[in-house]
Amino acid sequence: MKQLLVFVLFAGLFCWLMFSPVYKHVLVIRQALLQQEADYLLEIGASGRYGYIDAGMQADSRARLAQHGFDPSRLEYEVGSTTGAEADNPALPLPRGVGLKLVIRYPYDNLLTIDRLIGLEPPGPEQRMAAGGMKMSEYAP
Amino acid sequence: MHKLVFSVLMIVIWWMLHALQVDEELALGSVHEGKRAVDRAAHAAAQQADRAKLEMGIVSIDAPAAETAAAEYLRYNLRLDADGMPLPDSFWRERAEVRLFRVINENNEFPYTYRNEQYDYEVTLNRPGVVLIVHLVYPRLFGVLSPVAWDLKGSAELVYP
Repeated sequence: MKQLLVFVLFAGLFCWLMFSPVYKHVLVIRQALLQQEADYLLEIGASGRYGYIDAGMQADSRARLAQHGFDPSRLEYEVGSTTGAEADNPALPLPRGVGLKLVIRYPYDNLLTIDRLIGLEPPGPEQRMAAGGMKMSEYAP
Repeated sequence: MHKLVFSVLMIVIWWMLHALQVDEELALGSVHEGKRAVDRAAHAAAQQADRAKLEMGIVSIDAPAAETAAAEYLRYNLRLDADGMPLPDSFWRERAEVRLFRVINENNEFPYTYRNEQYDYEVTLNRPGVVLIVHLVYPRLFGVLSPVAWDLKGSAELVYP
């Protein structure tokens, strides 16, 4: 009986040890996908053809990320510029020399909740993983 | 007893392997992040056309303005302060050092091939451009991974229609 109890305990412990850090990979991959999307939007948005990241481009981006399992309604986009001019207006593109800033945010969900078992406090519900950057606009009127 | 010793040993080995893998994955992610920051800084620097020369029909880069723009974009994208030290909310811990900043201007003949033996870098520019090399040290999370540092190289050309 004792033998059986020890076996069950060890089996459970080993399974948890082997698989608990695997959840971190979901986080790593999501972060990488967000960063890739942010790079793409910046590359396109700052190019000589556009000079902005408008609502249509953001909607396309949401659709692309939804294909990878993100919930499109919970993705948050923040677009700005170094001069404070609005950067999501196709009628007023940012001219060359002005930096286009973008941040994409997504909640952590409950990915790190399992860490409570080893005493690490997971990030709160208001905290977000974020990816972004700043690129200079190439648009010349 | 021997089973207990064996399990403790396995726990240590598994956790070391997990730590190593997470750290390697993050290192791979951060080398790309650093490279992007360097590329964007070089790109911003290369767009600083010299207006006075442009009026005379010469396409040229304003070198001091280019250096300022490169530093500004590098700082923003890597979250650094004015001295190149990481800000408290930055992922990086050690100073990002600009090892080389070179403006290749209209006094060269294009296409111009820039070569640097020291950093093993070669790039061919068809227009005036900028070469930037930044030294970054990866902030290791665990001691399992041996220290990692990179010389990230980027270059960009002045874009004009």
